[in-house]
Amino acid sequence: MNKIFIIVQREYITRVRKKSFLITTLLTPLGFFLLMASSAMIGNYSQGKADVAIVDDSGLFKDVVFPDAEDQSVYFHKVGDKFEHLSGKLSDKEHSAYQAVIHIPANFNINNPTNPMMSGVYMVRPGVAKRQYINERMSDAVSKLRMKMLHIDEETQENMQKKVEVNFTSLSNDKENKQYAEAAGVVGIIMGIAIYISLFFYGTMIMKGVMEEKTNRIVEVLTSSVKPFQLLMGKIIGVGAVGLTQCILWVLLMALIFMVGLPLIGISAGSQASHMPQMKGADIDPDSFAAVIANISQLPLFEMAILFPVYFLGGFLLYGSLFAAVGAAMGEDGDQQSLMVPITIPIIISFGIALNVINNPDSPLGFWGSLIPFTSPVVMSSMLPFRPAWWQIMLSIALLIGGFIFTTYIAARIYRVGILMYGKKIRLKELGMWIFAKA
Amino acid sequence: MALLALQNIVKQYEKYRASDDVSFKIPKGKIFGLLGPNGAGKTTLIRMITRILYPDSGHIFFNGEALSDKHTEYIGYMPEERGLYKKMRVGEHLIYLGRLKGMTHQQARESVDFWIKKFEIENWYNKNIEELSKGMSQKVQFIATVLHNPELLILDEPFSGLDPLNSKLIEEEIHRMSGEGKTIIFSTHRMEQVEEICDEIVLINKGKKILEGSVKELKHRFKENKFRVCFNGEIKNGLLDNVNVLEQRPGEVVVKFNVEHHGNELLKLFIDNNIEVTLFSEELPSINEIFIRQVQAN
Repeated sequence: MNKIFIIVQREYITRVRKKSFLITTLLTPLGFFLLMASSAMIGNYSQGKADVAIVDDSGLFKDVVFPDAEDQSVYFHKVGDKFEHLSGKLSDKEHSAYQAVIHIPANFNINNPTNPMMSGVYMVRPGVAKRQYINERMSDAVSKLRMKMLHIDEETQENMQKKVEVNFTSLSNDKENKQYAEAAGVVGIIMGIAIYISLFFYGTMIMKGVMEEKTNRIVEVLTSSVKPFQLLMGKIIGVGAVGLTQCILWVLLMALIFMVGLPLIGISAGSQASHMPQMKGADIDPDSFAAVIANISQLPLFEMAILFPVYFLGGFLLYGSLFAAVGAAMGEDGDQQSLMVPITIPIIISFGIALNVINNPDSPLGFWGSLIPFTSPVVMSSMLPFRPAWWQIMLSIALLIGGFIFTTYIAARIYRVGILMYGKKIRLKELGMWIFAKA
Repeated sequence: MALLALQNIVKQYEKYRASDDVSFKIPKGKIFGLLGPNGAGKTTLIRMITRILYPDSGHIFFNGEALSDKHTEYIGYMPEERGLYKKMRVGEHLIYLGRLKGMTHQQARESVDFWIKKFEIENWYNKNIEELSKGMSQKVQFIATVLHNPELLILDEPFSGLDPLNSKLIEEEIHRMSGEGKTIIFSTHRMEQVEEICDEIVLINKGKKILEGSVKELKHRFKENKFRVCFNGEIKNGLLDNVNVLEQRPGEVVVKFNVEHHGNELLKLFIDNNIEVTLFSEELPSINEIFIRQVQAN
């Protein structure tokens, strides 16, 4: 045990001390910060302010109010000037009070708004979001006028426009509603992605470490002092500790960016959403986005905080040992990438299942995926916000523990043969034989 | 008493037998040569002694006890293909290897200080391994092998890549440690070093032990009754008709006698013919000759 600790210590210290560790740990959140800040700044810059003149020759809209955009990107001005006069002035960008002019022709037909059409001219091109906003407001105005002509009051109009949505609630969880499911999906997939990426990133780190020891032949000296199993465990735990340190630092730095960095330059998650054109459309409106954010607090955060590291660790131990075994079997030039295929396929499949789980958390695919040890770390992490049954979680953890004991045992047997095997290309069949070979 | 004893060791790989019923003993305090051509099974034997591999059958005893993991702390092993972590510093690397051999951090640090001072490489302590030349790395590797003051030292081709000065330094250390009662297994292809350094040898070929004994005893065992005679004057015609002359130069001759003849008979021949003998010596085979002869015969 003591020797495993000595190995863990070396693996941890030498990796954490590397410049690449420092750079990755600091630059990832910094890159994220810069991305957020720059997209917000670009958004602000590109938005600008557009004063839009409305020349209503039809006189139909004289009582209609065209609301300005909340994000101050579009201001409407009803003016009495002639359209030709105003559009002539537009070319003088410096002195023109407006950036675009909309003309409602005198023969505009409220029952057939496409013939003749409203027309508009601009010198400064309005962006997609602004055009979309202007079109929506014009349509609203036409609809309201039509309703008015049909003697339908405003309250009835609003009621008529309301969409029908079935308010599902879960019998097992009274807090679960639509926004809850969306929040659970968002958080679930983030956790699934985090484990998916970690398995590849740190798994490769273990594999390279093993290959380095094999290539520079120090492994012969090491295995004359410690058992291959101790060496394997020391490396896996050491790299795991590096991964955990890096993840904790990332979470802290991200939190710092969200709470201090972004507000400092005047950006919040809400404002980010409003800068995205599609957010203004029908897909996700900022209100529902905010509701999703608000519903995160309704998720089983305590259980997630405990169980996520369990699945992180379980998945890491299960796959880490397999990556080590492949590293041991690889040639000195590391050209046998095909040996990685049996490991990478289940990880990719588990991510596919996780994507399905966030839409159908109770599907049989999700259920089995959350139990099978090779897929459960990614699948169950994505499922946790949906509050799976406790017996399902316990069974999944028990199977995961059994799974990593099994893979570590298999991997250790491949590892101890592989690390001393030089100058030979190894095929998958041989790996299988090594499991049963005597040391 | 034997520090290490191998009894009927068998190790079978997939298609060939790397050790085939090998038995020998290594006396305490001796420098023991483990010899054999490439692929003879030397490394497999060493790996079994260092517990990297386990024999399929047979027993290994260390100081009279069945060899177990606890004994690895009494063994220092420098393999032929050796390496170090390139990104580590010399000092911390040595301490790490010392700790894996059961030393505390403090003990390892003290021992590292002692050795780097002895080898006059104190200024390397904080150097990165990747900055060292091959010869420098060899020195560090030697220190890593002896750091924990092992009872048994296994050196596989310890002089490869070393310049004559460093070779001498390591050789002196081997002799000094042997003088202190340490047992050393020395594996090499360079036979002149075997004669110079080893007390006893075992010769392995195709997984089997084909020869064993002290260097002196083996040389006598394989002697061919060859004698070298240096003299003043001339040999008369017919004087050496009854002996097998191998080499003949003015003032010097090498002859081979039948085993039933004694060297004194040759000497007497010269004396009786009034030829002044300045040197008379028995020509013993070199370990290299014995090695080649035995391997070819096998």
